[in-house]
Amino acid sequence: MSAGRDRRRMRVGFEMAIREFVREPINVALLVALPPVMITSYGSMMSAFPELSYMSTAPETLGSIAGTLFVAAFLPGVIGLFQVISARRADDRLALAGFPRSALFAARLLAVTLASVLTATLSISVLSTQTAVEAPIPAVLVLAFVGVLYGLLGMSIGTVLPRELEGSLVLIFLADMDEALASGIVDTDSPLTKLFPLHYPHEVFQAAVDGSPIALGDVLAASLYGVVLSVVTLGAYEAVTARGGEGR
Amino acid sequence: MSEAKTVFEMGVREYARTPVLLALLVFLPAYFVLFFTRVIPDRPVPVDVPVQGTMGLEMSSVVAVVMGPMATAFVGGIAGLFLMQSARTVDARLTVVGADLPSILLARAGVLALTVAVAGVVSAGATSVAYVPERPGWFLFATALVGLLYGGIGAVVGLSLNRLAGVYVLMFGPLLDIFLAQSPLTDETHALAPYLPGHYPMRLALDAAFTARIAPANLWPGLAYLLAVGLVASVAFSRRLHAG
Repeated sequence: MSAGRDRRRMRVGFEMAIREFVREPINVALLVALPPVMITSYGSMMSAFPELSYMSTAPETLGSIAGTLFVAAFLPGVIGLFQVISARRADDRLALAGFPRSALFAARLLAVTLASVLTATLSISVLSTQTAVEAPIPAVLVLAFVGVLYGLLGMSIGTVLPRELEGSLVLIFLADMDEALASGIVDTDSPLTKLFPLHYPHEVFQAAVDGSPIALGDVLAASLYGVVLSVVTLGAYEAVTARGGEGR
Repeated sequence: MSEAKTVFEMGVREYARTPVLLALLVFLPAYFVLFFTRVIPDRPVPVDVPVQGTMGLEMSSVVAVVMGPMATAFVGGIAGLFLMQSARTVDARLTVVGADLPSILLARAGVLALTVAVAGVVSAGATSVAYVPERPGWFLFATALVGLLYGGIGAVVGLSLNRLAGVYVLMFGPLLDIFLAQSPLTDETHALAPYLPGHYPMRLALDAAFTARIAPANLWPGLAYLLAVGLVASVAFSRRLHAG
């Protein structure tokens, strides 16, 4: 009885989140249009770079790979951010009406996961037209994973900084720093770069695309990052929303 | 003029009322630039400086000089976007009580310019910690010009798209433009690069950072681009205001 009610609540929360997103056709249009635009633009613009000694592959391929990872991560990241910020009041009311906070969180995360899977599928299809993807299944799994990872990050930022301007600023700076460091376009040898979310997924994705063996250590490190971030995000969401949100 | 001053002060007070936002406007650009200068090794790379040609420069200096304007562009773009989004209802009410369009427009542009100025000073200051530009004043000017251009583009985006779509565009735009298309590490200029907003200001920034010479050929087109973006934003703003 209780399990059935929880499932129904989850479904209601999930459907709300999806309806909120698709209500504006521009959101759907950008979700579909941005992956091809970004991936081809990245590859094309990187083709003007010389092949510098620290680059792991030809600049154009490096650009397409970086663009794919970027778009797969950050579209769900922005969705996660706005899911939490724009739904704060509705979530508070639902919680008052008996919805458990964890069910609301799970419904939001499910919507972000759906966006991640869609973006990952579309992104890998576009990348396949630019370069050969030797191991497509691991590649698409990494893309979906980074989508969820950034979705969680967006949700964390939206929970802690529940205003759109501040939240967007933090997400943009974090995302662009992460992308610039992970992309391999600039030379870095600092261990600090390993603390960024895309570092290990980028290694795994690069290996999946070029067909080299995928390092177990990279997979474990990326997974650990995901687990820790999930726990932190859920903890922050429950703590902040339980005391009435943004201090309104 | 007093109407414009009042609306400007209202806008500034709204920012000042949010200490977290003020802290982020200072912290994020500084952290962005300083972090990159810390993690990039001091290795010489061949760099294309517009007024000079190819020069051998330290990678960390080049990255510091590119990241300063890029950080300002992010702040300008997002500030422009949310300025238009958040002021929507307030502006409509201001016209109802008799405020004229040029005053509101001037006030909003003033708030945006002030935000960009803060971000520009912080970014250029952070750049100077790692590498002191040859012509610091011109470098600051070029940095602010990039920020204003993206501020104007952010305003146009904010008037035409919703917040979510706007953040997508402003997350990807400056990165593609400044980090890739205008990168001084490239062998050749990408065919699209001269049409992008960051082109002329970035050429100006690179000249100011690494040489003592400034080419007017990079200054005037940049200002003309800003004027064009400003006109488009003004027309879009007045149309929205009239549409209610």
